[in-house]
Amino acid sequence: MSERLLEVNGLSKRFGGVVALRNVDGHSVVGETLGMIGPNGSGKTTFVNMVSGHIRPDSGTLRFGGIDIAGKTPHQLAEVGLCRTYQAVRVFSALPVRQNIDNARLLLAHRGLDTAELRELTEWLRLDARLDVAAGSLTLFEQRRLELLMRLVLKPRLIMLDEPVGGLAVTEVSEMIQLLKELRARCSIFVIEHTMRVIRELADRVMVLIAGEKVADGPPADILRNQRVIDEYLGTRHA
Amino acid sequence: MKIASGRALWIFAAAALALPVIADGNKFLAFVLGMTYISLLWATGMNLMYGFVGLMPLMFAGVAGIAGYAVVHLIRELGWSFWLAMPVATVMAALAGVALGLPSLRLKGFYFTLCSLVIQTVLTLAFIFFPTYTNGDTGINQIAPPDWFGGQLKGLGLELMIALFTVAGIVICAWIVRSPLGQRFVAIREDDILAEAIGIRVVRCKIIAFFIVSLYAGVGGCFYAVYIGFISPRAFDVLVSMNIWLFVAFGGRGTIAGPIIGTAILAPIPFLLQDLQAFKDILSGVLIIVVTLLMPGGIYGAWLARQRRSAQPTTDSARVQESRV
Repeated sequence: MSERLLEVNGLSKRFGGVVALRNVDGHSVVGETLGMIGPNGSGKTTFVNMVSGHIRPDSGTLRFGGIDIAGKTPHQLAEVGLCRTYQAVRVFSALPVRQNIDNARLLLAHRGLDTAELRELTEWLRLDARLDVAAGSLTLFEQRRLELLMRLVLKPRLIMLDEPVGGLAVTEVSEMIQLLKELRARCSIFVIEHTMRVIRELADRVMVLIAGEKVADGPPADILRNQRVIDEYLGTRHA
Repeated sequence: MKIASGRALWIFAAAALALPVIADGNKFLAFVLGMTYISLLWATGMNLMYGFVGLMPLMFAGVAGIAGYAVVHLIRELGWSFWLAMPVATVMAALAGVALGLPSLRLKGFYFTLCSLVIQTVLTLAFIFFPTYTNGDTGINQIAPPDWFGGQLKGLGLELMIALFTVAGIVICAWIVRSPLGQRFVAIREDDILAEAIGIRVVRCKIIAFFIVSLYAGVGGCFYAVYIGFISPRAFDVLVSMNIWLFVAFGGRGTIAGPIIGTAILAPIPFLLQDLQAFKDILSGVLIIVVTLLMPGGIYGAWLARQRRSAQPTTDSARVQESRV
């Protein structure tokens, strides 16, 4: 269980005069679900953007599965099994669900999932009846599930989820948490969330970012009781 | 998405090759037809870029011009056969197209179009200011028709050859858009960031697209030079790019049939309205506005959307698709 998957050291990023991230260290191990919380603007999405190759860090090292991934592009990271979803849901809206999935299958082509595996995934995410519908006319929850499916087709080792339950109805949040619990058996997860229930029920460990700096790192029960986290982010006790 | 059926493509090919034979008696009609075919070859290339990759390359005519001038230079100055000069000139133009496209690879939408407009302008100026190769504003006239087994290929023979290349261009385009490469193009058109995130090499695909599209521009440019027998910077300026774009947008971008319909309707108009020069440009301008505002999917796109709506009246998916074209 202790094999390191993602290793981040001294990660920093400035946007002009604004320091988005300052000297952030962190790691995740294989099979782990690592959560990240913090107030708006604390650098969570910037962190994911850098790990997933969307923006370059100013300094710091990034390793994934033992290889250096600094400066790699998102498609190169998808090839080594690191992928992400977006805070604002992102699917090919004008294309049918089926073609969305087919586009994700291009990467691995014949090395990818076989038909039975794909059908199993599609049924698990309850998209099997929606294959011929334009992805843009799915509900938000369905689009989020499609996003997951498109990542799982890439046979990832780590999926980074940026607010996976953002905008979902209360009942949908419960269903999504259930799906994510089952997802843990398929790959390692990194998840940003503001909904503490998600963090409490899913995360093995939580990193807290405040104003671009990591202020805490530990099991959710401890973090949610940490006085500084309560004062500067949570406001009230969640655990 | 059904793009074109195989049978429709065969019928089109047969008709395209039969028409020059039928029109042969009337020199004017035959010429209009020949020009329409060259426009159609160009429109097919433009459609691959604008309709499938989602980028509007306004330097398209400039790239065609590079091939046009190069082929004339190779034939006249170096004494090459047209059939050797054409592929060489076309590949040269395609490489130039890729090189010119490189600075704009990271751009998309309006910014890409703007960048390509600048490139087109620079190319037009280059055609004017390098008279050694282009004879400047005066242009090059009396370009001989292609050589053909000791004689010359002109009239019906040349029109059939152009028709053959155009049909081949359309078949190749239909084949590309159905291939995994075409699937990647559409993914990039729909959302390039998502495409990259699911493992599509966006930059490499765009470079490949630039190359292929420039081949279309180049072949068309070579045939244009030897068919008309006269080239000048005006033959390859931004208005030509805009016109080719209009053929695609008017007919229906992102489909095989769309540009064929658009070109068949619009390309002959300037020749038929030769006595009404001013009116021609006004008409072209009005059409650009009408297409942009009222028919974002073009004639064929609007027809497809209607088909879809009547096929499944209970979902709003057709409307979503239509509004995103």
